[in-house]
Amino acid sequence: MSEALRIAVAGNPNVGKTSLFNLLTGSRYKVGNYPGITVETREGRLRGASSSPAPILIDLPGTYSLTPTAEDEAAAFRSLTGAELRPPDAVLLVLDASNLARNLYLALQVFELGLPCVIALNMIDLAREAGIEIDPERLEATLGIPVVPTVARTGEGVEAVAKVLDGLGGRGAIRHAASLGLSAEGGVAEACSTPSTAALRLLPLDENPSARRRVGLHHGPLGRTRSLEPRLLEPAAEQADLREILAALEGAGCGPARARWLLAARAAESVELCDPSEGEQQALERLPAEAVDRAIRELVELRYAEVDRLLAQLEIVERPSEASSAPAMAASARIDAVLTHRVLGPAVFLLVMALIFQSIFSWAEPLMGLIESGIGSLSEAVAAALGPGTFTDLLTEGVIAGVGNVVVFVPQIALLFLFIGLLEDSGYMARAAFIVDRVMAKVGLNGKAFVPLLSGYACAIPAIMSTRTISSFKDRVVTILMIPFMSCSARLPVYTLIIGALFVANERVLGPFTQGGLILLGMYLLSTVSALVLGAIYKRTLLKGPVPPLVLELPPYRLPRVRDTLRQVWDRTADFLRDAGTIILAVTIVLWGLLTYPKVDEADLQPGETAIERSIAGSAGKALEPALEPIGQDWRIGIGLIGSFAAREVLVSTLGLVYGIEGADEDDTPLREAITTAKRVDGSPRYTPLSGLALMVFFVYACQCMSTLAVVRRETRSWKWPAFMLVSMTVIAYLAALLVFQVGRLLGY
Amino acid sequence: MVSRTIEMPFQKSEPAERTLDQLEVGARATVRAVKGRGRTTVRLLEMGFVPGVEVALVKRAPLGDPLELRLRGFHVSLRRAEARAVEVVQ
Repeated sequence: MSEALRIAVAGNPNVGKTSLFNLLTGSRYKVGNYPGITVETREGRLRGASSSPAPILIDLPGTYSLTPTAEDEAAAFRSLTGAELRPPDAVLLVLDASNLARNLYLALQVFELGLPCVIALNMIDLAREAGIEIDPERLEATLGIPVVPTVARTGEGVEAVAKVLDGLGGRGAIRHAASLGLSAEGGVAEACSTPSTAALRLLPLDENPSARRRVGLHHGPLGRTRSLEPRLLEPAAEQADLREILAALEGAGCGPARARWLLAARAAESVELCDPSEGEQQALERLPAEAVDRAIRELVELRYAEVDRLLAQLEIVERPSEASSAPAMAASARIDAVLTHRVLGPAVFLLVMALIFQSIFSWAEPLMGLIESGIGSLSEAVAAALGPGTFTDLLTEGVIAGVGNVVVFVPQIALLFLFIGLLEDSGYMARAAFIVDRVMAKVGLNGKAFVPLLSGYACAIPAIMSTRTISSFKDRVVTILMIPFMSCSARLPVYTLIIGALFVANERVLGPFTQGGLILLGMYLLSTVSALVLGAIYKRTLLKGPVPPLVLELPPYRLPRVRDTLRQVWDRTADFLRDAGTIILAVTIVLWGLLTYPKVDEADLQPGETAIERSIAGSAGKALEPALEPIGQDWRIGIGLIGSFAAREVLVSTLGLVYGIEGADEDDTPLREAITTAKRVDGSPRYTPLSGLALMVFFVYACQCMSTLAVVRRETRSWKWPAFMLVSMTVIAYLAALLVFQVGRLLGY
Repeated sequence: MVSRTIEMPFQKSEPAERTLDQLEVGARATVRAVKGRGRTTVRLLEMGFVPGVEVALVKRAPLGDPLELRLRGFHVSLRRAEARAVEVVQ
């Protein structure tokens, strides 16, 4: 039994690559993060393959080029050149038939790899609708590589692609074919007897023997898919800088293909992503910057000249037209007349954003309530079945409550990713970024950061997960660091408790506005401004980087393929449950222990004392009091802060325990009264409006949410950023509360 | 013979030169050169902004920036600051 063939699936973004991959693998794949970076790759076996073992398909991130200028391109580049793992044995290149003028650029770079290649010419239907006639046979003849026309949306042509890939045989077969040599006509005659020959008859080419002769194609699939010699474009005589630099790099011992990648990486200032050898590194450093600048232009021009030559050969010319939009964009331009209109565009944008926000803010609510009551019933059932005891408490208040803390996020995550998926697939997300980019650029981010930040008002967990659409890692981290400052829905119960207890919530202040409403508005404004300011600071200091270029394609609008979107929703949710879920569960159990142990007998408690005071968290809260006093809080709030590390709204139920009030999280009226009337030993009120304001400001900034930290660890793949987030947010929160309380006191409040 | 049209950032461009951000909506022009160096420059080149290619300014975003451009049969959005690096002749 031979090793399975590994086939990389490469292509531009928005060419239907993922749909094709899902169809080819029957949506059975595993999601893997590429080592060290945050770009996802997916691996699945070719469905219904006759070869054994079935070839493995690797879905690479969609890229416009293989020059590593951003993380996604770097992932594609490293995967194809075998920087971490062994390189793939073959490439399935997915091209957009309606846009060969750009898609062929990537194709030429893939040909430089010297890997056997198969082309899926996708969206052939849309190309025809746009009046772009492409003859797959001619493309095949021109390139000398099998070309299968496909329509991934409907599944047309997918079987044919599968059969060609299946026919590639095992790794051994490819090596065998390589050793026979391409030029020997009939040299791979045995390959004809492989099962794939029949499959290839499906190709238009096989019905057209003359096309075969034109390019001197070979018998059997291996000969035709092979291009084991890298296909390199040679610089023209006048491209002196390119010639010199390639010669210098080849002189340093790297192959001609690698010399081209290193040149491009040097020009893009990302040499480190190519893992250069010491010799290569030295050769690169010796290159004069001006020569590199000229050579990269010559290299890109050389490739585009070849693209234009191929297009001319295929008689695909962009007909000069008076219409301002490209042929494939004609229908989209009519939609954009509304969606990116000067007035209507922003209006629709706000409407769409309001819809997303509404869905995670309130439509998820009934589902979350259902999960919470389900967890509650399960808890009760387990408690009833096991009877009271420490083990029962561990199970119900630790494990089951922990599972509940994890699962409760699922509705919000699923809804947000459903919306994002549909908007991305339809092409609207690019327009949203187009409309809002001006605003985001002021912070130093691009338009793609908007949806994650907005989602942060509902919940940081799905919001942080949705930063994956941002391609630069640094910019992702900036956005991730900004999100928890957005006033999420879990802060609302905290604000309402404090406002209700310490302020006259219904007192009219200005026209229809009440004290409560204005304070709440103030907290939301404070959180928004703080997030933007801190984001701008992080972007300019800690995660310094240029404002990311907005070289953003505005793809044609398309109906999203709902099945693919649902797959993605499932992937994200499962990923959260598996990775972040385990951390959340563990922390829930630890917090339960801290708030419960050591146990005390009810009879031992002083009058007015509650069991929670004697717990580890209780002692810690009391020990914290000297630090809490300057911000106007006491040890009772200290215990609340420890408890609310599980989630901000837990402050309410923890304070309930401190004040001996059951079910404070369902109805906080008794707790409000207890807080309003609480007196110090000297008879003065324990909490004042000023201390309440300080506490609210503390909650605006503090990272009182273990789930956020768990998700940040998952998304950044290290504990460094969650640790930084926890420490910096807590410090900022403390200083802000200190400022509010001390300045307020000086002013006489 | 291809003429050398690469401009280094420190060189002053001719006053008659237009850059992509100066086009009117609906106007078409031919790319002459992409100035500058580094990632964004390579990105622009590889997206197809090479000398000789025709570009058209389709639209400005509602807030005035970025721009929607057409080239090589597709539409791409660039900020004005990025478009300024692309020299064109009309």
